[in-house]
Amino acid sequence: MSARTFRSSETVDFAVVGSGAAGGVMARELSQGGFSVVLFEQGPHWHASDWEHDELKYWLLNGIVNDPVQSPQTFRQDPDHKAERTRDTNALIYARRVGGSSVHFTANYWRFHEIDFIERSRLGPIAGTGFDDWPITYADLEPYYTKVEWDVGVSGLAGASPFDPPRSKPYPMPPMPVKSSGVLFERGARKLGLHPFPAPMAINSVPYRGRPGCVHCGFCMGYGCEVMAKSSSLYTMIPEAEATGRCEVRAESYVFNLPTDAKGRVTGVTYYDKDRRERFQKARAVVVCANGAETPRLLLNSASSRFPDGLANSSGLVGKYLMFNSGQELGAVFEHPLNEYKSAQVTRIVHDFYDSDPKRGFYGGGGIDARIGPQPIFWALREEEGAPKWGAAFKARLEEFPRSLIVYTHTTSLALAANSVSIDPELKDAWGVAAIRTTYRDHPADLSTARFLGDKSAAILEAAGALRVGKVPVSEARFSVHLLGTCRMGNDPARSVIDKFHRTHEVRNLFLCDGSSFVTSGRGQPTMTIQALAFRAADHIGRFARANEI
Amino acid sequence: MSSTDPSATTSRRSFLGASAATFGAAWLMAHWPQVAAAAHAAHENAIAEGGGGFKFLAVDEAADVEAATAQIIPSGDTPGAREAHVVYFIDAAFAAFFAAQAEDFRKGLAEFRAGCQAANAGTAFAALDQGKQHAYLGSVELTPFFGWLRFLTVAGLLASPKYGGNKDGLGWKMIGFEDNHVFTPPFGYYDRDYPGFVPYTDTGNKT
Repeated sequence: MSARTFRSSETVDFAVVGSGAAGGVMARELSQGGFSVVLFEQGPHWHASDWEHDELKYWLLNGIVNDPVQSPQTFRQDPDHKAERTRDTNALIYARRVGGSSVHFTANYWRFHEIDFIERSRLGPIAGTGFDDWPITYADLEPYYTKVEWDVGVSGLAGASPFDPPRSKPYPMPPMPVKSSGVLFERGARKLGLHPFPAPMAINSVPYRGRPGCVHCGFCMGYGCEVMAKSSSLYTMIPEAEATGRCEVRAESYVFNLPTDAKGRVTGVTYYDKDRRERFQKARAVVVCANGAETPRLLLNSASSRFPDGLANSSGLVGKYLMFNSGQELGAVFEHPLNEYKSAQVTRIVHDFYDSDPKRGFYGGGGIDARIGPQPIFWALREEEGAPKWGAAFKARLEEFPRSLIVYTHTTSLALAANSVSIDPELKDAWGVAAIRTTYRDHPADLSTARFLGDKSAAILEAAGALRVGKVPVSEARFSVHLLGTCRMGNDPARSVIDKFHRTHEVRNLFLCDGSSFVTSGRGQPTMTIQALAFRAADHIGRFARANEI
Repeated sequence: MSSTDPSATTSRRSFLGASAATFGAAWLMAHWPQVAAAAHAAHENAIAEGGGGFKFLAVDEAADVEAATAQIIPSGDTPGAREAHVVYFIDAAFAAFFAAQAEDFRKGLAEFRAGCQAANAGTAFAALDQGKQHAYLGSVELTPFFGWLRFLTVAGLLASPKYGGNKDGLGWKMIGFEDNHVFTPPFGYYDRDYPGFVPYTDTGNKT
């Protein structure tokens, strides 16, 4: 069945704003559930044949992501300072294409652990932070994690990690073939008594659900997959939504306002079409899945006399508690070629330091993985401590590329009210819509955790027989692709924006689901959890709609 | 041919051994004299025939920029920034996709060149001997302009050749990167003989 097109004068059941990891799931689940859906996306609808192996275009020229010319932002570290416009890249980065950031993600797909949802109860409060439990537990999400693995497509080895939370089914595909980085990382970690295991990846290791297996070209992180092996919403959820005949993907349609009626209900979405004409689509309910940056921005920009501080913002928490995930990067060089630029970024990870441990003296934990990370240009521009920056010694370093690997640590970020997405008082984007202002400074515990895991990573690399190990110094974050926590879920309307079913506490027919829903940051790799939340939210939203409770 | 076919694995192993020699530093070592001669000749001719065909840089600016990039990633046993045509990448970049920053770059370059001449009795950077070029760059290596130049040199060496640098893929060959659309395992030396994942019998002291 071909994709449906709706007239904007028709009232559709759902307008879903944002076509990424969450929006794709939402559109597929609601349309398969019998509802009419228009899926809005700011960016164009690109297909597999549109992507290229072009590091300059995608990493330097913002070829996929929100670019700082058309969609500028401002940044500051301190709420007392004036935020400055960022130059070469935005502070909050996301892919502005149908499929959203699931197009260019690295596809690391580990589940959160049980502790992530109940950490405050276990550890107690942390002064000066918004550290809190989630209103749901791992057990609530487990069926939906399984749904992500099977319906979206995740490769992995169930039971390989002794730290993994319980699961109801194995992975549908075996793990990706191990790379030299994975072998060395596993060797070093096992020597230290740790428990490295095959990385779960949202990449087809074998043909699955009509899509081919990975061809190991190596252009995953920051690129669209040219063979559709990466399990992006673009290739998985969205075509299935369109196939229902009840879902229209409306690309190049930039939603900037959610109008409300006299009863305080949203009536639909106001957007600019591809010719920058203002349009309105009527909808019975709106689900915003626009990511942790654009979701709070849309609510704040939808302020009205009835909602003077922004839509659904009587708690004052819309945009607050922004979390990035912290971490440290290390590099190592070995005797023989690894050729890490081939295949998926990550094949082995360690979760031995996942939980926070009071003995360390600071809150936090995380995971460690081995990879090459970026392709040649950004690999060459990494700044390890003490590394030569030019001349013959720099060139000699560049020639180590095939014998090198990179280790990333992925760590917690504490929720701080000062860290936020707000509306810049002056700056407008190319459409005249008020721009994002980001305020962010890592909590000291986040940086301590990053350094702690960096030291553990160095020990693993030494044990693996590295000829040299170098660290990129931990620094305060000024940008991120992990956009979390800005419309957090909770049971108390005074301390959260949405309830545990993703309905805003104040607007009955407005739901939010994406990274903004997170209460804690997890330990990086948020997309798996974003999609599990979306499957669960869609289940409940569909149930409410059928029961006429929206 | 499936990835589990043992004969395929064997042939890929022999290919892997060959590929390092074919595409990596060894290839360049073997072919470098011819590559260098060809590159130099083409470059000299281009400049002699009409300013090198630069779109943004003036010829004297281009000479200094090229000399500086050749200090950042020097030629030697293998090609460097000069042979990879990094200066043409930089020129093309400011004429096109970095046009918004072009005047800032020209201003920074003017300061760089003036500083060099002030420190070297009026001699332009490109005309200095290697030692003096190195010394001047060392004196400005912490300036934002030098950081910018370094960034552009790396980008010009390693970006797709369609942007004007990385001539004939020399930059990729130098560092040992292959831009292919399909690879098959084993990918490197250490994953050739991986015995398979051995499950853990302990609980990782999980509490």
